[in-house]
Amino acid sequence: MKDTIITTIDKAAMALGGGLILLGVVGLGIVEILAGPPYGAAPTTNDAGEVIATPMVDANLRVFLVVAGLVVLLAWQVYRMVATASGEDATQRVEMTAD
Amino acid sequence: MATNTANPLGEEFAFDIGGPVAKYWVAVLRVITGWWFFHAGVTKIIENGFNFAAGPGYLKGMTGTALGPLPVWMGNNLAWLIKPGVPLFETLIGLGILFGVLTRLAAFGGAFFMTLFWVGNAGYGHGLVTGDFMGLLLMITMAALAAGRYYGGDAIIEQTRLVEQHPKLKYLLG
Repeated sequence: MKDTIITTIDKAAMALGGGLILLGVVGLGIVEILAGPPYGAAPTTNDAGEVIATPMVDANLRVFLVVAGLVVLLAWQVYRMVATASGEDATQRVEMTAD
Repeated sequence: MATNTANPLGEEFAFDIGGPVAKYWVAVLRVITGWWFFHAGVTKIIENGFNFAAGPGYLKGMTGTALGPLPVWMGNNLAWLIKPGVPLFETLIGLGILFGVLTRLAAFGGAFFMTLFWVGNAGYGHGLVTGDFMGLLLMITMAALAAGRYYGGDAIIEQTRLVEQHPKLKYLLG
């Protein structure tokens, strides 16, 4: 089996897995910047520990998207491993003399 | 099976970076990544043996995360595995990556650990990309680049008849 990335499943898994990771980190990161402070992904607090500003997008949602992307990539690799054919050459070979 | 001797990464499922500098740097990166985990594991063993008591408590504290109830459940029900498992598996993962043996399997284990650390430490004050997240990406990179094929044990193991007969193993080696 030539193990190259050609199937639709491979392309879909790469697009979905990578897409979810990039959406969680970069896509929603851009949204956070455009939404204004706080620019980090966690709420900011004052010296008394009171929350004074929260991110527009919940960090848990962004983390969930990234983890989901990682799970997609893992499932894809497990699928590829299972789908890999055995390399055992079962062909019976017998010695033959030339005519 | 045909082998591209000029570029070991050019065959099978791997990112095609065949240049000598890339091979050299992937190997350096692999050894450092392996040492990172080996050091974390073996120092726990030296200090407390196979009894990392802080492990279950750390997981129990992971309430309200993106992983839902899973870490807390692990902390409550898998303490018997976590206490010896954290130092043991960190050490084995480190050794595997360090020497490039069962690299992809070890990198998967490392990615699992780093996902828990990334979510559990949750220091997102400067954004989602933290040191733990970079460690997680490093583990995935080890697997994606089949880093064990570069001056690692998997380069030898993958030439054996066993692996040739069972190419599935390349998803655990490499």
